Amino acid sequence: MLLEYGAESRLIEQLSSRLGVALGCTSIEISLIPSAIVLTTLIGDSSVTTTRRAHEQPINMSIVHQIVTICLAAEKNTRDIIIVERKLDNIHSNPYPAWLLIPIIGLSCAAFSHLQGADWPGFWITFLAASVGMMVRRELSRRNYSLLIVFAFTAFVCTLIASLAFYHGLSTSGRVVLSSSVLLLVPGFPYINSMLDAFKGYISMGWGRWTQATLLTLMSSLGIMLAMGLLDIKGW
Amino acid sequence: MMAWFTLLVNSLWAAIPAVGFGMIFNVPRSALPLCAVGGAFTYGFRDVLMHNHLSIEFSTFIATTAIGIIGVFWSRRYAMPRPVYTVPSIIPIIPGTYAYEMMISLVSMNTDGVTDALLSSFIQNGLHAVSILFAIAFGLVLPSMYYTKRQKPII
Repeated sequence: MLLEYGAESRLIEQLSSRLGVALGCTSIEISLIPSAIVLTTLIGDSSVTTTRRAHEQPINMSIVHQIVTICLAAEKNTRDIIIVERKLDNIHSNPYPAWLLIPIIGLSCAAFSHLQGADWPGFWITFLAASVGMMVRRELSRRNYSLLIVFAFTAFVCTLIASLAFYHGLSTSGRVVLSSSVLLLVPGFPYINSMLDAFKGYISMGWGRWTQATLLTLMSSLGIMLAMGLLDIKGW
Repeated sequence: MMAWFTLLVNSLWAAIPAVGFGMIFNVPRSALPLCAVGGAFTYGFRDVLMHNHLSIEFSTFIATTAIGIIGVFWSRRYAMPRPVYTVPSIIPIIPGTYAYEMMISLVSMNTDGVTDALLSSFIQNGLHAVSILFAIAFGLVLPSMYYTKRQKPII
């Protein structure tokens, strides 16, 4: 029996037990810790226990969605393990192309700065800083650096570029520009997931994810501090 | 009249980050318009509440609870886990500026020495950021806790 690791926790438990029942097992018991899954399958009187390691993956919601779809399909026509296995093999992540992703991220951070009252030069500087930051982040992730280092370095680059706003008073709202150009590093999913897990009774999963999110935030603020120390806050 | 127009424009601006962050998290393509609607709705709703003299924390809480409940309906209709919609929708109201100001005052306390003004700015901004974050998280968790009570999967 196959199990894939997505990005949820209660969902994992519900999905795998439902999938197991749909495939004709008597019951499925599962236990989760942040880095592995232990799964016991009961078929009649015999039981099988397997342990799987979970690798650190970038968040990918479309894979989770495909697994949910497969599970729903398996519940409709039960005991069809071949189809399920073939579908699970066919799961693919369809990432958005870089030429679309980078300007959109730049635009969204710029929209942040606009919402918080930056002027138009500030808007464009934020756009530039966030786009370059996203490019750096993609390149570093592709070379398999640790996520923590990627976050710190991206924050460093973003802050360096955003400090252009202070150059000769180019923009009157430099602080807003600085703060919104690093917003592309907010670890929203780990935080929300950890809260959801902890509130639903998976305390250890919640703690693990919360620690991860806090570490990411700390590393990005480290990058910002380094850049500001280099530039002495007041800019170039 | 003018106030409503500004509100609408601001909500449209808030829809852009929702879509952008949805793309970072690799949300399926069919869900992106809903993320945009959710982001605009959350921001606009919070603005309306703040115009009615509620505090920023409380209006954030109500707005995120609303998007959480809406997310339950959407996820049932399109057979998708809820965080796909809810997390990109709350991105526009994350208190980035408060957290940033807190850090700035921390750094300048380090270099220039501790003064009363810096210390009070540090504590005030930090409290704002933390309480808004907690309001967001609790607002999103509340609807799903209700469904946990019923012991029935949502999708």
